Formats: sequence, structure tokens, C-alpha cells
Amino acid sequence: MPILPADPEITEEARIGVYVCHCGLNIAGTVNCEEVAEFAATLPHVVVAKDHRYTCSDQGQELIKNDIKNSDLNRIVVASCSPRLHELTFRKTCEEAGLNKYLFEMANIREHCSWVHHHDKEAATEKAKDLVRAAVAKATLLESEIETVVPINRKALVIGGGVAGIQAALDLADTGYKVFVVEKQPSIGGRMAQIDKTFPTMDCSICILAPKMSDVGHHPNIELYTNSEVQEVKGYIGNFTVKVLKKPRYITDECSACNDCSEACPIAAPNEFDVGLATRKAIFTPFAQAVPSTYIIDRDLCLNEEGIMTCDKCIEACERQAIDFDMKPETIELQVGTIVVATGAEVSDPTRFTNYGYTRYPNVITSLEFERLINAGGPSSGNLVRPSDMKIPKTVAFIQCVGSRSKKGNPYCSNVCCMNTVKDSLLIKEHWPDVKIYVFYLDMRAFGKGFEDLYRRAKEAGVMFIRGLPAEVVEDPKTHNLWVIGENTLQKEIYKINLDLVILSVGIEPCKDSDAIQRLFTLSRTSDGFFMEAHPKLKPVDAPTGGVFLAGCAESPKDIKDSVTQASAAAARAGILMAQGKVTVEAITPKPILENCRICGMCAQVCPYNAIVVDKEAKSVQVIDAACAGCGTCGAECQFEALHMRHFTDNQIRSQIDALTEEDADTKIIAFCCNWCAYAGADFAGVSRIQYPPNVRIIRTMCSGRVSSTFIEHAFARGAGAVLVAGCHPGDCHYIDANYQTQRRVERLWKKMARLDVDTDRLQLLWASAAEGERIATKIREMQSVLAKLKPEGVEKATKAFEGR
Amino acid sequence: MTLLKRSNSASDLYVCKVLYRRDRLYSRRTKKPLTIVLGREARMESPLIPQEIREKTKYCFECGVCTASCPMAELLSPQYNPRSVLQQILEDPDRALKSEGLWLCAWCYKCYKRCPQGLKLPEILHTAKQEVAKRGFDASFEKAVSIIEKHIPFPILCWYTCFHPERTGIPNDKIVAMKEKLAGRPKKGKKPTNRQGRAAIIGSGPAGLTAACQLAERGYPVTLFEALPKIGGMLRKSMPAYRLPRKELDNEIQLLKDLGVEIRTSTEVGKDIKFDELWRCGYKVVFVAVGAHTSLKLGIEGEDLDGVIDALNFLWTAKESAKVDITERVGVIGGGNVAIDAARTALRHKAKEVVILYRRSLNEMTANPWEIGEAEKEGVRIEFQVAPKKILKKDGKVAGLECFRVELGELDETGRKRPVPIEGSEFSLQLGTVIVAIGERTETSFLPNEVERDRSNRILVNPVTMETSMTRVFAGGDAVTGPASVIEAILAGKRAAGFMEKYLNETGEREDAHLAS
Repeated sequence: MPILPADPEITEEARIGVYVCHCGLNIAGTVNCEEVAEFAATLPHVVVAKDHRYTCSDQGQELIKNDIKNSDLNRIVVASCSPRLHELTFRKTCEEAGLNKYLFEMANIREHCSWVHHHDKEAATEKAKDLVRAAVAKATLLESEIETVVPINRKALVIGGGVAGIQAALDLADTGYKVFVVEKQPSIGGRMAQIDKTFPTMDCSICILAPKMSDVGHHPNIELYTNSEVQEVKGYIGNFTVKVLKKPRYITDECSACNDCSEACPIAAPNEFDVGLATRKAIFTPFAQAVPSTYIIDRDLCLNEEGIMTCDKCIEACERQAIDFDMKPETIELQVGTIVVATGAEVSDPTRFTNYGYTRYPNVITSLEFERLINAGGPSSGNLVRPSDMKIPKTVAFIQCVGSRSKKGNPYCSNVCCMNTVKDSLLIKEHWPDVKIYVFYLDMRAFGKGFEDLYRRAKEAGVMFIRGLPAEVVEDPKTHNLWVIGENTLQKEIYKINLDLVILSVGIEPCKDSDAIQRLFTLSRTSDGFFMEAHPKLKPVDAPTGGVFLAGCAESPKDIKDSVTQASAAAARAGILMAQGKVTVEAITPKPILENCRICGMCAQVCPYNAIVVDKEAKSVQVIDAACAGCGTCGAECQFEALHMRHFTDNQIRSQIDALTEEDADTKIIAFCCNWCAYAGADFAGVSRIQYPPNVRIIRTMCSGRVSSTFIEHAFARGAGAVLVAGCHPGDCHYIDANYQTQRRVERLWKKMARLDVDTDRLQLLWASAAEGERIATKIREMQSVLAKLKPEGVEKATKAFEGR
Repeated sequence: MTLLKRSNSASDLYVCKVLYRRDRLYSRRTKKPLTIVLGREARMESPLIPQEIREKTKYCFECGVCTASCPMAELLSPQYNPRSVLQQILEDPDRALKSEGLWLCAWCYKCYKRCPQGLKLPEILHTAKQEVAKRGFDASFEKAVSIIEKHIPFPILCWYTCFHPERTGIPNDKIVAMKEKLAGRPKKGKKPTNRQGRAAIIGSGPAGLTAACQLAERGYPVTLFEALPKIGGMLRKSMPAYRLPRKELDNEIQLLKDLGVEIRTSTEVGKDIKFDELWRCGYKVVFVAVGAHTSLKLGIEGEDLDGVIDALNFLWTAKESAKVDITERVGVIGGGNVAIDAARTALRHKAKEVVILYRRSLNEMTANPWEIGEAEKEGVRIEFQVAPKKILKKDGKVAGLECFRVELGELDETGRKRPVPIEGSEFSLQLGTVIVAIGERTETSFLPNEVERDRSNRILVNPVTMETSMTRVFAGGDAVTGPASVIEAILAGKRAAGFMEKYLNETGEREDAHLAS
């Protein structure tokens, strides 16, 4: 048995106060809180044990503060909701009562217990007791810590130059901070620049956006990088180092945007800005109001290849000699304190819904194509023409929910399509009042300010709203008119309507490069693919990664007003951090215990942040606190227990395992969940009230990489029925790649178990994101069969095999 | 905390006194689940419809795509509406089980292929029907049969190929009685051909038969052209005798002959008679219902080897001659009814061991569930999520099949999960015969260029009138839709007949006017 390092400086005897929260009926409806409190009172070191209706309320906090003073408590345990929700609140309470905030521990008996075991009150109560027992055991070993203060760089980075990015950048710049804006496209403006009018006020979209775009271009505090992409992000809250790849435009600042080059250019291709309805040249400007107002050469199209000049028409045409084919991509390194992610979204591609015939039939178009057709600056100069014969249609239909609210497309509602269609139908009516318009809908959602009025106006204008989605759109081969066939579900009649033009009201999808962005900033995504906020109600614009904020459609589909609102909110949140100028870093970094250390360097090898410096010659190990993120994978790797992982020490975790395996261990699943994905996923299961068997006991670590194989072995030695290690999906780890270490450790342990003839099914590994509550619940349900086939001899064998671990 | 006391709260079912639990209401006193119907009446959860069915139906948003896709809904309009049947199952199961709507599903799976929520309506209704059969509510069944008798052409063929009521557990005597009732329905004898305008119908499958029958009944002279020596199209060619007794098919065809339809078998339009000649022969209007008979190719190595046969030809030879050229070990590639038919037919011949290879999972198979079950019972092995890689060769003959496993990825346009190959999962099977049943395409090269076709050679038509881009030429059935169900073909035939009549009337009037002037 390895010698456990004594936890330093536990000098005073622990005096613990336990508070069991009813949370109204949220917990008390399932868990007998009085019984749990009575049980807590019997635990060692517990001096005070109380239950309270709302512990997080002022009264509840007051109660804790008074008890700390009156009963001389030096450790506090609150059994209530998830620490991801209220740990901060209660830590503050402790601090206010003069207790170090690291002497506080939470037992999650709401998300992980009462909400997920509605139907088994007894088992839920027993589980709550176990969780309290584990929290008390850990609390006994807690130590006071002093947090490191990190300065915040007062510069911000905004990724994405759509309306959300523009707003966030302007707000931050106006507050006085330096802002860098990185945009992938040659111009800022995003989707809003493509749209003709905005709902519900029918303002001209580009007319209200263009001044803002120009402000961004000229603001002294804003540095704009268009045609650029973020390549690498390093660092942490307040101190990010971002590498931006600035792709060459092949046009110098001399350009006066006179268009002579474009006229001379012999190459034409579909124009992305007009969704392929018009053409552009190989040297082009995306649209008239583009910012920066300059040209760009599309080298994929241009005849000139690297080093070989075959065409010089543009060079000849350019009087100011602004064309430079020798421009090279540049990598720029930016030092920023906060980041706003406003990468936007894409419209969904309806080609896969073959029954609507998009791309097969020329007169079936998408709503974005419609925007370009109806726009006076668009390819048809504002004439809504149907592609087959360029005539103004007499009958038009909109089909709603194409790609939304469906198992075959995206399951979510795309939020803007209903009102967009209402606006579009009014636009048609405004220009050509005689056009007959049908809107085939599933539900019309006109929920916002002024939306219902607009809907009424459309009804007033004579737009026909028919409830029932078309089953198919078929072209009449003679006329290229379209037959739309569906059921009018309110009339219970099948309609077959002949139309000149069909507009598919397509939904909004996450960007295709969301994956890359997610990795760069270690963000989470919901099952829909949009970035997840830190808390859906209370931190709606904060990303789970500190110092990163979300704005616009990257977070969820939303309209312009909501995007702007959210952008301002994100700017304000980033501004708060930068105004404070410093942030404290959680004291969860490791401290080397030199007397145990053999200077083997394993810890430095597994550290994802290179935050440990091992000098074999000088026999020194040093942890760089500012670089360390506290994942703890070094602590798990160290064979000699020579790293003291603050707040998640080996002894603390072992004490939790001991507490949880004290009774009926063989019927229980000990689950180690990482704070960011698996633990949050289990919280999400709670919030969604997904029910699963109550015999699982979750222990929280910051990263699954903290789970040392000795912990798992210890659990088996204590007779645990099964062990689950759960972390983020590979590639999604919040500590870069620490979860690969988890996988390696678990795989090694599986081999060891097989060698020792212990059923390997008893140890399971699960990757689950913060949105995959159901996945976690399913895994726990599946693991019941492992427990069911478990025999006492099997438990004993494992106990013996791993004894002493 | 106490709940508000109401003076009349004696009822345990009072809404104020129920606990809300996820999606179900529980009685506060008895702790049993409740169902609140229409907010007024409350009663115990109906045990009539199995929970799993109710679970599925909850996710219907009533978009109406099923009804609009359903051929039966159109044939029986407005008597049948699958969307409302489904909703009734959720809202008022008692009535739903007693309604005839349950029995009118023709198993074409068109609704499932288009349903945004991926609900398998035919199977949901099937379970409900089984429940009805268990409880003996067969009045609804009888009512459905009389509706079918009245409105569906060739009801007895549809009985065998579409409705399958015998699969629901309805007592056998009832089934026999109903079948006899259908067979003994009043027949329409020969009608005088008193209308102007001859119609040519190319192809004698269900679409052609229906159109011929409908036009003849209305008094038009009709000629039916069939390339094969016997009429019946796919019904005769690929439907095994154990699924559609030949006697029944012959009986129904006799009706057609009785109506006075001129039948020209072994006459392939384009070969024995050129398409343009039809006009010269005096036909005023043509209905193209040639079906889809060219089997799709796998596009893998070894496909031309001796021992690789396409399922349709195999089924056809199996029916026509007792001897088929297969070995003892047979592999069938595909997951539809044709694949299952081929596998079961193979077992009825020389094959000892038959394995079906399907690239998706059981849930995605569009063969009728009992066909799958019976095939398995007969000893057919079904390998799911497997795709062929190449056909192995020995002495110029098939020696086996190399396959790889696939996993199911995202949904594709048919609403089913797209198979994605798993690397390094290759394995081989020893087989002497490989039957390919992965679908068919249509062969329409005999048509003039004016008739527009799409990339897969399907004829483009106006979906309401079934008229092609060439005036006077109508089309329907598999030649328009690609391989589909009997009922869809019947609907196409019926639609086309109506508009062909309209066309003939209008031109007749024009000609009359022309002559009069």
C-alpha cells in the first residue's frame, strides 16, 4: 500500500454544518429532507444539521452565517441543487461569515436525485443521504485556499462580422476598449446585408446596417480583419493569445473601388452574395456597401496560378496599380482579454427534401433567394421573376417549416421563418397587389413585439394562410407551373393548387465550421448543434469557458433584434470583466509534494497546457498557476501521489468513495463525471426530468482526466458493483485533450481486470456532452444488467484483487 | 402547506387535485395515472391501445402530409383520413378502435416515407387492428370491406396485395366470408362501346388494368397492349403464388374481358408496333403504364458472373417454369417485399440456405412485418447493416460474396438512416447464387422525345391529370413513380381514366362542331 501523504495543515478539528434544502417541493416532493437532516446529524464532525425550505434565499443564507458564528462551524455542506448553479452563492455566504470559501461543499440532491427519481421516494431519500455522507466526508478534509489573481487584458476579440458581431464590436469600442473583429468573408455585414426588408417594421435591411458597417470600418478603437480566420487560441480568461490567419486579398490599400478591374476580368462565376442568382468576376467586391470598400481576387477562379501569370487584364485596367499578386497570407498574433463568438448560422439546404423538388424544378426557390430577387439591388432589380421564364408570377406559395421541426431535417423551430414569410408576402402584395399568395404552415408563430400586427396586415392584404404542409410539389411538364398537393387539415380536404412560384421557407442551421470553433474555444454545443450557454436563464450570453461570450445565431436561431440585443449583452458582460481588470482563478491547481516526487516527469508529459516544468537535473517540479487550468490529469498520472490537487485531493476523492460504498456497495454504481460535460449532462437529465435508476452515485471532478485508476480500483476494493467514468466526447474536452488520458487509463484497467478475472463490464466509459442527459440516463439503465448478473463471489474477487488500492 | 379545499372536491378526478408528472396526470389519492379528455371529462387511462402506440402518436403535429400522400385517402375521399385516424387513437381510443378507418390502410408506406416525424403509420394502425381483432369489434372491419368493394377497383387483388386483413388476427371464418362477399360482388357485364375515341393502354399492370376497366365501363373502346404473353404486369410477374393466388388474378382479368376490352398480349409497343403507329391505328389517346422492369445494378465487381440473377426475372421464371437455376446457398440483396419474396421463393425451390443482406436495420425495412417474420420462420437469415463489396469468382461462376458492415448515419431524403461503411469490417459469405433485389427502373425508350422524362427515366406528368408533356399521352404507375405499391398504381389508373375521358369528350365535341360546320 502506498503511503498516503498527510493532508497538510489540517490542524483544527472539523466542525461541520449541514443544510438540507427543500427547494420548495422540488426536492422535498421526492426526498424526505427532515430524515436526511436527521441522518446528517449522526455523521462524524457534524455539529449542526438542519433542513430549510429555500437555503439559497436570504433567510437560508442568514441561517448559515449565524450558525457559522454561533456554533463556531468551520466547514459547510449544503445539500440542494447542482454546484454548477449555486456553489458561487454559498461560497460567498461563507466568505461573508468569515469562512474561507474552499471550506464549502455541495451535495447535489436535486438535479441528480429528486428530479430524476420521481417515482421512488425511498430510494431517492437513501441516495440523498449517501450524497450528504460523501459531501461531509469530503468537507472534513477540505482546506482553505487562497486564489491567484490574474490581470485581464483590456482588449476584446469579436469573431464574426454579422450584425451581432458589428453590434458587440461597436459597443465595446464605444466603451473605450480596443476591439479586433475577425471576419471570414471579404466584407462584414453577414446575412442581414443579403436581406431586403426586416420584420416587423419593414425597414430596409441594408439601409440600417450600412451605417453601422461603416462605423466599424472607421472606429478608432476597432481593428478589422476581413478574409481572415482564427487559427489557434491559447490561454485563459483575461489572457488569450489568438492567432489569426489573414488571407491575402491581392489588392493593396491603394484601391479606390472604381470597378475598372472587374470590368476587365474575363472570368465569371456565381455570386455567393446573390445566392448564385447572378454572377461576379474573379476580381470583385461582394456588394456595393461592402466594408472594407475594396476588391478581392478569388484565386480559385483567377487564371493566374502561383508564380505563373497568364492574364494581366486587371493589372492593366487598374490605374492606381493596386493589384499585387505577390501578397502572402499573414499570421497575426493578438493578445486579448475577452472574446465574443458571433459566428452566425447558415440557411438549411432543402435539396434533401426531394418531395419539394428544389433544384429539380426551376420555379422552386428558397426564402433567401427570394430576398435577393425582391431586393432592388439584387440581380432582377427588385422584380420578383420566376426562374423558368423570367415573368412575374401570378400565384405564389410559401411552404413553412422546410427543414425545421422535423426528424428528417432539424428538430427545432428556426424561430424567424414564420415572420419572414409574413413579411415576404406583404412585400409581394406591396409591389404586385394582384398576386395570389398562399402560405402553407404547420403553426404560425408570431410571438414578438409587433409580430401579430404584421400577421394581421398580411391577412388583411388577402394572403391565404392554409394549415397543412404540402406532401409534394410536382412540376407540370408542359407549363413549368407547380402543383402543390397537401391536406388542409382544418378543412379536412386535400388541396391541389397550381402555382407559378413556390418559395421554401428554409430554416436556420449551425455553421458548418462550428466544429472548428467549438474546438478552438472548448465550447459545448446542444444536440441541435448551436453553442451552449453557461446557464440558460441566468448566464444566457456566457460561454462555459471563462472570458468567452456568445452572440447572435451561433447560440440559437434568432432574428435581427434579438441578435443585436444579445450582442450588446455580450459586450456588456465582456466589458464588466475588462473594467474590473482582474479575475481570480479558482484555487484548484496542483501543488507538488517534493518528498514523494521521483522527478519522473510523467505529470509534465500529460499536462495539456505545458504548465508543469520538471527539471530532472535540479530535481525540481514547478507548476505555473496562471497557465494551469486545473484539470488534474497530472494528479491522476502521478504514481507516487506527489501532486496535491487542491480541492480535489486524492484523499478527498477517496473519502467520497468510502462514504458512498459504506452500505450496499455491490448494488451501486460509482460514477465519476467531469464538471463540464458529463456532470452537466447529468444536471441536464435532471432539468429535463429524465428518470433513471436511483443506484448511481456521482462524484464530480473537473475533468475525467482527474480520475486516477487507483480511484476506480479503490471503489472496487470497497465492493462497488460497477464504476462509470464519464467525460466529454473526444475532441470536446475542456482541457484540450485530457480525456484521451482517461481513455488510456480505463483501457489499461480493463486489461488488468481481465487478467485478474474481474468482469470488465463492471467498469464502463461514457462520452456524453452537456446536452446529452438522455445518453447518461440510458447508460445507467443499461448498467443495471451488469449489476443484475453480479454475484457475491464476483464482488469478493474484485475486493481482494484490488485490496489496498 | 394545504391545498385549496373545494366544496365539491369529492371527486378524486378533480383537476385541482392531481399531481402533474412529466406528461401524465396522476391521481393524488390513488396515485394512479389519469387521462383528461378534452379538459372536461376524466377517466382512467384507456387500456385499449397499447402504450407504445400512444407514445408514438404523441409526436404527430398534424401537418397532413400523410393524408395528402395517401392513395387510399384520395380514392375514398372524403371517407378516409389517416391523420384523423391517428389523432383519434390518441384522443379517443374507444372510437378509434371502432372506426373503419383503421382497416383502410393499404400498406404503401408512402406516409412513412414523407412523415416529418418518421411515424410508421401502417404499423401503428396494424397494432391497433390487432387489438380490435382481439376484442372482436369486427363490425368496423365489415364496414371497411363494403367501402373497399364500392370504391376500389379490383378489390380482391387489393385484398391480397394491399390490405392483408388476415394478418390482424380476425377470425378465419370472417375473413373467408368477407372474401367471398368481395368475389361475389355484382359484376358489370359488357357495356356497349357507344362513346367516341379509342384509347390505347400500354401495359397491363394494376395501373393499366384500372384505366382500361374505368374507360371500358364508361363505354369507350379500349385496347390493352402487353409485351408478355399474359396480362397482369408486375402482379403476374413478381408476386409469388402464395401471396396472390393465380386463380384470383385470372378471375379479375376475366371481368376485364367481359367488359369488352380488346387485349393484345405479346405485343411490345416500340418493337411489335411503333408508338407513332398508334395514332395511325385510330387511337385518340394513349395511357403509358409500362411499369419499372429493369433491375438496378449493384455496380460492384463480378456482377456479370453466372449465378447473379435479378429478383424479378427469378420470380417470373419460378412462377412460369417449375425449374429455376439456383444453387443451394443463395444470397438476396435488398430489403423490400421483392427481396423477401425472392428469398422465400428460393427456399421453395432448390435452396437450402438463404440469407438476405440489407444495408439498413429492421426498422427501416419496407417489407410487410409479417413477411419478414414468416421468412425468418421459414429459415431465411437476415443480415442487417451489411452491404456487398464484390462478388467472388471461381471457375467463371459465383463462389461467394464479399461484404462489409455499415453503421447508420444521418437521415437521408427518404427519412431513413443513411448507411456509412465501417472500415475494416469486410467478411465473405460462400454463396452459389446472388439474387439482386435493390429496385427497378423503368424502360421508356420507345416513347417519342416530346414525352419528358427525368434523370432516372421516369415519365414526368401533371400529378392531377396524369398527362405528360405530350398532348394525348397520359402515364401512370411505376413508370411515373418508380417502383411503388399496387394501390398507388390503381390510383394513377383511376386519375388518368377520368382525365382521358375528359380529354376525349372535349376533342369529340370539337370534332363534332368541326363536322357540323
